[in-house]
Amino acid sequence: MTMPLHPAHPAPAGTDPCGCPGPGPSRRSVLGALGLGTLAAVAGTGTSTRVAMAAPGYTGDVLVVLSLRGGFDGLSAVAPVGDPAYAGLRPDIAVPASAALRLDATFGLHPSLKSLKPLWDAGQLGVVQAVGQASRSRSHFQAMEEMERAAPGTSLRTGWLDRTLGTRGELAPLAALQVGSPIASAGLAGPVAEVTMRTISSFVMDGPDTDAERVRWNTALRTLHGEGPTTVRAAGLAAVDAVERLRAVPASTARATYPTGELGDALCDAARLVRANAGVQVVAIDSGDWDMHAGMGRHDRGWMRDKLTELGDALAAFSRDLGSLMSGVTLVTLSEFGRRAGQNGSGGLDHGHANAVLLMGGGVVGGRVHGRWPGLGASQLDDGALAGTTDYRTVLAEVLQKRCGAGSLSGVLPGLPTASPLGVVRARS
Amino acid sequence: MRPVLKVGRATSEDLDVRSGDETGATVGQVGTGEPSAPPPARAATLDAPAPAAPTRRGALTTVLGAVAAAVGSGTAAAAATGAVAPAALPAAVAGRAERRALAQVRADTPFPTDRASALHLVQRTTWGATPQLLAEVLARGPEAWLEEQLAPGGVDDSFVEGVARRYRWYGWSIPRVRQEVPSGDWELLWDLGSLTFARYVWGRRQLHEVMADFWSNHLNVTNPSSDVWDNRHDYDTTVVRRYALGSFADMLKASARHPAMLRYLDNASSRKGQPNENYARELMELHTLGVSAGYTELDVRAAARLLTGLTVDDASGLYRYDASRHDTGAATVLGFAVPAHSASAGEGHALSLLDWLARHPTTARHLALKLCVRFVSDDPPAALVERVAEEYLRAGTDVVPALRLLFRSPEFWASAGAKTRRPLEGYVAALRLLGVGPDASGTVGLSHLSWLSREMGHQPLAWAAPNGYPDVAVAWQSASATLYRWNRVILAAGGWWPNMLTFRPLRQLLPAQLPATYGGLFDELGRSLLLRPLVGRERTALLGFCGKTESSPLRATDEWLGWRLHHLVATVLDAPAHMVR
Repeated sequence: MTMPLHPAHPAPAGTDPCGCPGPGPSRRSVLGALGLGTLAAVAGTGTSTRVAMAAPGYTGDVLVVLSLRGGFDGLSAVAPVGDPAYAGLRPDIAVPASAALRLDATFGLHPSLKSLKPLWDAGQLGVVQAVGQASRSRSHFQAMEEMERAAPGTSLRTGWLDRTLGTRGELAPLAALQVGSPIASAGLAGPVAEVTMRTISSFVMDGPDTDAERVRWNTALRTLHGEGPTTVRAAGLAAVDAVERLRAVPASTARATYPTGELGDALCDAARLVRANAGVQVVAIDSGDWDMHAGMGRHDRGWMRDKLTELGDALAAFSRDLGSLMSGVTLVTLSEFGRRAGQNGSGGLDHGHANAVLLMGGGVVGGRVHGRWPGLGASQLDDGALAGTTDYRTVLAEVLQKRCGAGSLSGVLPGLPTASPLGVVRARS
Repeated sequence: MRPVLKVGRATSEDLDVRSGDETGATVGQVGTGEPSAPPPARAATLDAPAPAAPTRRGALTTVLGAVAAAVGSGTAAAAATGAVAPAALPAAVAGRAERRALAQVRADTPFPTDRASALHLVQRTTWGATPQLLAEVLARGPEAWLEEQLAPGGVDDSFVEGVARRYRWYGWSIPRVRQEVPSGDWELLWDLGSLTFARYVWGRRQLHEVMADFWSNHLNVTNPSSDVWDNRHDYDTTVVRRYALGSFADMLKASARHPAMLRYLDNASSRKGQPNENYARELMELHTLGVSAGYTELDVRAAARLLTGLTVDDASGLYRYDASRHDTGAATVLGFAVPAHSASAGEGHALSLLDWLARHPTTARHLALKLCVRFVSDDPPAALVERVAEEYLRAGTDVVPALRLLFRSPEFWASAGAKTRRPLEGYVAALRLLGVGPDASGTVGLSHLSWLSREMGHQPLAWAAPNGYPDVAVAWQSASATLYRWNRVILAAGGWWPNMLTFRPLRQLLPAQLPATYGGLFDELGRSLLLRPLVGRERTALLGFCGKTESSPLRATDEWLGWRLHHLVATVLDAPAHMVR
């Protein structure tokens, strides 16, 4: 009688999915970590199951895309405390100028992001404010789809990350990853096969317990998945290959303490894969629960304070964990839209438009708030929300070209506005 | 007008009703689709084709454009599977005359009774066919069985009700929960996830369970989430399950006045002067019209104002209309206009808006598309969607007539093989095939089942956003969900975990008289687990797995019938064929 190698030990109720004590996913988990991007069909996606043994050629940065799902409030994170209209728009929830960690005459970091201040001071963290997109939608689902498709005005049905990877020829099996969620974001939608995982440590097969048995199971599973529905086949083959590749990744030796929770776990795993030189080129990570319509709390207590603390601590840990390896990593945050400039009657914020984008990495031109600030005066707002002065695609384009070896982006970001780069990153030396 | 409940094939009365609609009869405030009544002025935009640009991915979010683009693809996929189609019809049946002809075909076409058709019906309308259930359906007759499932009150469900009674809170009202359970405790939320899992596996009202899942996602209130600790179980009973095979207008109004929805989408804290748009937006985008319907931000804000006052009483935790919070100003939402009114009339106007939305032709198409995506294919034929939508309107938003039309349609019968199971369905179906039973007593094993599904990314009721779990294959092309499913199936096949459940000996999957060869073994395991002998690559894979050939003799003492039988069982269930719905 053989026993499974990994008898499941489900955490008892009241424990979160990573086994940490706690009440489980927070409150409304609206737009949570499950990843909303893939809610609908992409015709013909995922039919490619190509597997290469190595990742020759690619010498650019590992690109980490952190999606803040639900509508991140960039006006809380990088608060325009110097804007004359700011405090009046948010009588109960504004970050007081006295509490903000001042960045320049206009902006201050939310005090809960204090872990990021040293990175700012060291020039490894930058911000772009008032970043918008062509879509005017204030629907989560539509705005997210449009942002991750990144091809407004076209009929393309793939995501920008997939198209980016599609220009790089043969890819290693772990080149494209969604970490922290079993479901891939829509940015990865398309023919390039990505691997989705909640955690590396849970990505093991329970059946075989010896090398010989592994060969037996893998052979049978690969044979079985040579037919059947294309999505089932592709996912099955990707699972077998990824299990084998991840077996070769050294055990975790994190050099920093990550905050408890799915975001910290995902960034910890991402760092582990970068350190292992596992052929990773793109890592997509979701962080949910930003849809704060009601009861978001104040700068010193409550929902937003807690979420920003987790975010800042996780990003800072990631940077510390990778140390000098951060010179080959660029992390960028995206969110489908920002929130309204003024608070609503529930102590929260309804859906808005433009937002702050955070950039982290060795190549980032940090310590600066990039972009043109449109102001929060009544006549300056866009239907009650911060107006967008920078299209998010121009930020992505600069990162892809200067840090990730991209040439022409006409296929990756079609219809890219012809704005000159803001200078948010330096060219890779 | 109540729909005519028919048992048996469509009657001439059915045709009369349809032709009545075509002469201009209306249901409620809106027409039944086509030209009968002129649409309200502002709603005219709703009937225009959706713009091409934002429709990118088809099915669930960009409703109308996808339908237009998807004509006939489901039938093409099914042709390859050799499904038995009662009649070959053009994929797009647009005009009135063609629809009448189609109705005639339906009326004249006997409900299929062959095994392959019955299996298709069962796979689509349940959480997974088993040889026992299929035999039962064939003995009863597929049409009669379907009618029983559409009127589930007559189906004995005492077994799973007995399981439900094991939860101490079974039958508790919201005030009772608040009395008995510490404030904010997640006991009921976790329990509801496991009980729902149990209902999927062991419920006998299987189509009702499928529809409960469908509506739980359509009107999603994420479980668990803290705001609904005291009322989510009540939402499940009094909104979703009560109306799962009833009237959508009734379900929508019940959801709008349930404290779970009011808290989840923040209408509870919306008030005049400072409306909260969250519920109003999702009401129009997700619950009724769909995102491409052509409404504007102004419509969303007007709806939010009209819905102010629908809130939750802090003391009792129950729904309350608070007139002092209601915005009494005039409001126009598309073609629905309310003049300035008294505060006491506000609730009535809000409910009228909900009724108007439920009966809007664009809502009908949105719901019809989702039903067709659930039951037919990821890109269902546009003509079928249109007919289901018309039936929904004709029946005054009752879902059963729409489902009956769907299940009798040639497009449904031609769609075998066109749908893919989601991870939870694969797991639940495996447990049903293995004959796993609930804990002998208590609910610990059930809670572990629910937890295992959470790790797989597909715990019942747990989708984190208001739009509910997707139901198209590409959304679930996930290596990790696949791997976790394989691992859970191994543990279940081995009888290891959750080990509080009751397991049947795997030898019961084989006939008492063992086959003589390994080829025969895989015929039998296939029949028990995939409802047909293994074929093609499946045979290659399994014979290779045990290092045998078709003619290798099978002996009762072989390890593959002993301590390794569960490896064979799990591997058969890992086959892609198991993931076809």
